[in-house]
Amino acid sequence: MTQERLTIAGTERSPEVDFDFASGRFSMRGESYPEDAAAFFGPIFDALRRYLQAPAPDGITLDIEFIYFNSSSAKALMNILEMLEKSAADGTRVEINWHYADDDDTMKEFGEDFSEDLEHVTFNLVSVDG
Amino acid sequence: MNDLFDAEEKALADARRLREHLEEVADPELRRGVGALVKAFERSLREQRRLVRFSDRLQGQLANLNQELQRRRQEAEDALARLEETQETLVQQEKLASLGALVAGVAHEINTPVGIALSCASHLADATERLKDDFASGSLSRSEFSRYLATAEDTSGLILANCDRAAQLIRSFKQVATDRTSSERRQFDLRDYVEEVLFSLAPRLRQLGHQVSIDCPSGLTMDSYPGALAQVLTNLVMNSILHAYDEGQTGQFSITVTQPDADSLRLVFADDGKGIPTEHLPRIFDPFFTTRRGNGGSGLGLHIVYNLVTGPLGGSLGVDSAPGKGSSFTLLLPRVVRERENDTVEAEQEA
Ligand SMILES: Nc1ncnc2c1ncn2[C@@H]1O[C@H](COP(=O)(O)OP(=O)(O)OP(=O)(O)O)[C@@H](O)[C@H]1O
Ligand SMILES: [Mg+2]
Repeated sequence: MTQERLTIAGTERSPEVDFDFASGRFSMRGESYPEDAAAFFGPIFDALRRYLQAPAPDGITLDIEFIYFNSSSAKALMNILEMLEKSAADGTRVEINWHYADDDDTMKEFGEDFSEDLEHVTFNLVSVDG
Repeated sequence: MNDLFDAEEKALADARRLREHLEEVADPELRRGVGALVKAFERSLREQRRLVRFSDRLQGQLANLNQELQRRRQEAEDALARLEETQETLVQQEKLASLGALVAGVAHEINTPVGIALSCASHLADATERLKDDFASGSLSRSEFSRYLATAEDTSGLILANCDRAAQLIRSFKQVATDRTSSERRQFDLRDYVEEVLFSLAPRLRQLGHQVSIDCPSGLTMDSYPGALAQVLTNLVMNSILHAYDEGQTGQFSITVTQPDADSLRLVFADDGKGIPTEHLPRIFDPFFTTRRGNGGSGLGLHIVYNLVTGPLGGSLGVDSAPGKGSSFTLLLPRVVRERENDTVEAEQEA
């Protein structure tokens, strides 16, 4: 079973997710403080894990643009980054764009923190007009 | 530097040392296993540090937001308090202004009987002077004397009637005026009272050619705040005068009182003027809504009406109007105002 695309519509408390596996363009945007973080992120982990067994040849670009997230979402994000880092270590090209509003220093610091453990992934901090 | 994760770092250092010892003794399988454990532990510790940092930052943001929220709430509350103060002042000013208009009306109305009485009295004085002269010179004829008697009878009758009228006017004005200032609760006959209030507005209405019809059952006693009711009726009438007609146009106003049940009454004030545009209807009771800004309107009239009807009078208020169809304001009032309304008014008086 090949997976084409994982899309989850954004809600007030969970982000919009769009993983286009065919093109390797992934994005997560919005607020993230779901009722049950494990339930929300579980399917995303599963899909990603399956995909990373045979990633697209052109590699992966992940755009992340969070307005707010809670600690569970931060942990979930770290898990995703760890998966991508492993895959990058194995030779997949992985680029992550961390978008933050140019007046939001906290979001920028979060981005810097997230990039700490990444060696093989290209991590870009992208400031957006706030 | 003090590190919250000292214990974890120490455990990790122990684990690293253990891995080194194993280099010499253990078999490769075991070494790989422990090595992976140490790595996982390292990563987990880094994540833990990061997560603590994250949640500190998030909680900091939350605390800031809370403070901001608190500050804004305080601001809003202060603004509301200031607004209420201003409103209270304006209500007082409005009361004074309507009292001023009342006094002007009184002066005008009393002028007529007093003027008649005065000219009658001076006419009588002149006739008496002539009579005295003729009597002194001995030229007083019988017919002249009887003419004088007729004049004296006429004029003194007119003087009496007009002084009576003036006294009656003063009595009713005094009633309305004290009601307006004292906001005192008492029993009153609704029809008599409505007539008295309208009477105080009569000069203005007559001058403009407007007619008012009052349809109210007699013997309907209210136990309420007549001053508030007077102010409500005055404001409604003044609005119809000011807003409902073009210059030179005359109108027909009506006040109709019915009793839906023994404890309440419905008072409808209506004019047959130009009506209120539909888009204005939801806003006419808002403070400062006026279509005559800069032209004498403060936009407080109907707001005060609303406050008086729902406050001291303990009732409710509605409006029905459409362009070209006139306007009618319906007041539903308890015949006997509830006790607790009393407290607020008395508290107001003390303040
Ligand atoms: N009988 C009416 N016919 C037509 N329009 C009316 C009538 N009564 C009130 N309005 C409209 O409602 C608005 C608000 O009335 P309100 O009595 O609150 O203020 P105002 O008369 O303009 O000013 P103020 O009463 O403070 O001097 C008026 O400006 C007018 O546009
Ligand atoms: Mg008015």
